[in-house]
Amino acid sequence: MSDNIIEIEHVSKRFGHVVALDDVTLNVKRGEVVVIIGPSGSGKSTLLRCINHLEAVDSGRIVVDGIPLTEAKNIDKVRAEVGMVFQLFNLFPHLTALGNITLAQRVVRKRSEEEAEEIAHQLLAKVGIPEKAHAYPAQLSGGQQQRVAIARALAMQPRIMLFDEPTSALDPEMIKEVLDVMLDLAQEGMTMVVVSHEMGFVKAAANRIAFMCDGYIVEETTPTELFAAPREERTKQFLSQILI
Amino acid sequence: MALDDASCQTDRAAPEPEGGIRGFWARVDRAWLLVVGVVVITAWMIQTRPDPYRRAFVFLEDGIRVTISITVVSFLFILIVGLLGGLGRISKNPLISGIAAVYVEVVRGIPLLVQLLFIYYASPIVLRDLGRHLAGILPGLAARLIAIKLNPFAAAVLGLTACYGAYMSEIFRAGIESIAKGQMEAARSLGMGYLQAMRHVILPQAIRLVLPPVGNEFVSLLKDSSLVSVVAVADMTRRGREFMASTFLALETWLLVALLYLVMTLFFARLVAYIERKTSFVR
Repeated sequence: MSDNIIEIEHVSKRFGHVVALDDVTLNVKRGEVVVIIGPSGSGKSTLLRCINHLEAVDSGRIVVDGIPLTEAKNIDKVRAEVGMVFQLFNLFPHLTALGNITLAQRVVRKRSEEEAEEIAHQLLAKVGIPEKAHAYPAQLSGGQQQRVAIARALAMQPRIMLFDEPTSALDPEMIKEVLDVMLDLAQEGMTMVVVSHEMGFVKAAANRIAFMCDGYIVEETTPTELFAAPREERTKQFLSQILI
Repeated sequence: MALDDASCQTDRAAPEPEGGIRGFWARVDRAWLLVVGVVVITAWMIQTRPDPYRRAFVFLEDGIRVTISITVVSFLFILIVGLLGGLGRISKNPLISGIAAVYVEVVRGIPLLVQLLFIYYASPIVLRDLGRHLAGILPGLAARLIAIKLNPFAAAVLGLTACYGAYMSEIFRAGIESIAKGQMEAARSLGMGYLQAMRHVILPQAIRLVLPPVGNEFVSLLKDSSLVSVVAVADMTRRGREFMASTFLALETWLLVALLYLVMTLFFARLVAYIERKTSFVR
């Protein structure tokens, strides 16, 4: 087995006439943190969503932890191994923080309620809000909600975590508390694919950075190289706009 | 964490209600007064003018019981049909969604009264003829089809369920569709299957959302159950007609029947409002 935990090979995807992904190839090694940047509509989120099959690819091949994402029965298996954090948190509003974190553990992992709750309390402590176990999402700030969402994904003990613009719906003062949790995860050796424009996070944690535009990966390298000497004109243009 | 959690928490609790009579007055749902008022008027009529109101009430009593049981039994079936129909309508399988769509459209296009008449009077003929055609092939089944006799109560429940099930399907469909797409995605991304996500994530939210229209359906059903009097069910309306036929007291009979329906519908409308308040959550 190769040490690539995610293999994306020549993947294409279109929505109607819009080409969202155009022959994208990207491999992620175990324990690596890969950040995807690019203008809106460039296909970053679509690529991320293809990794756990929230979107089906039109052509090409995606293999996650040795499991090809082709047959229907593989999909739930892959999804349980891949945690996903959404831009708008997508917490379950009818459940408390604890309920959000324990639901899939009980339903998918078949853990007992006590076991699931113990794990949930540990994870809430890990993301820094142990006292919010019984709060409903509407009673939490955006940053707290996103941290509960991260804990919810971690409770499945995933081998890979996908982050889809996890801080872009947050007030500036709450971004740090979420990024701190993500940095901790990266330091623990979690494999992460992150769509984000938080350059602080990129510099602190990213092993590699991919710049996407118009559905394909324009350039893929280390953050240091990308910031110091972007090869492509399109990359330079984009970086000059976000790194003011 | 650096942030002070308490400072950025939004507290949406309303100020504590006052104590005493005024506090109670502020908290109580004033529409209950209407229910109490109608009950008092009805009871007062029965008390002060036993003839004919007490006599009529005693005569109607088993009809009241039939009306309530037919409504409640039908409603349970309607909820099941509505849930299945609603899930069917949003199904990605074209056969399932097609069947659900045809059912809803056909049933919504035929008056309930006609549906009841058809089920009670016409469907036994359909079954009998079907039985005759099948006699050569499946004699056992054919004999049973020919022998089927619909009991009026069953026919009434069947008719009400078929009709209201279609409306309920639309309510459930709208409720499920109004839950943000991200909820299903979040549930699926955690490894839950479609049905698990429906059961644990989507439906608990959708049901709270559709509670008001579902409650309205219950009240409408209670009123429309008076139509079953045409298929030989001795409900309150039919008993009223019988009472009027033997006493010729048209005004008194229908006044009392109307008041009794009103007591029930007002009461259930309040009950629905109460349940709605109890199960709501901040979204």
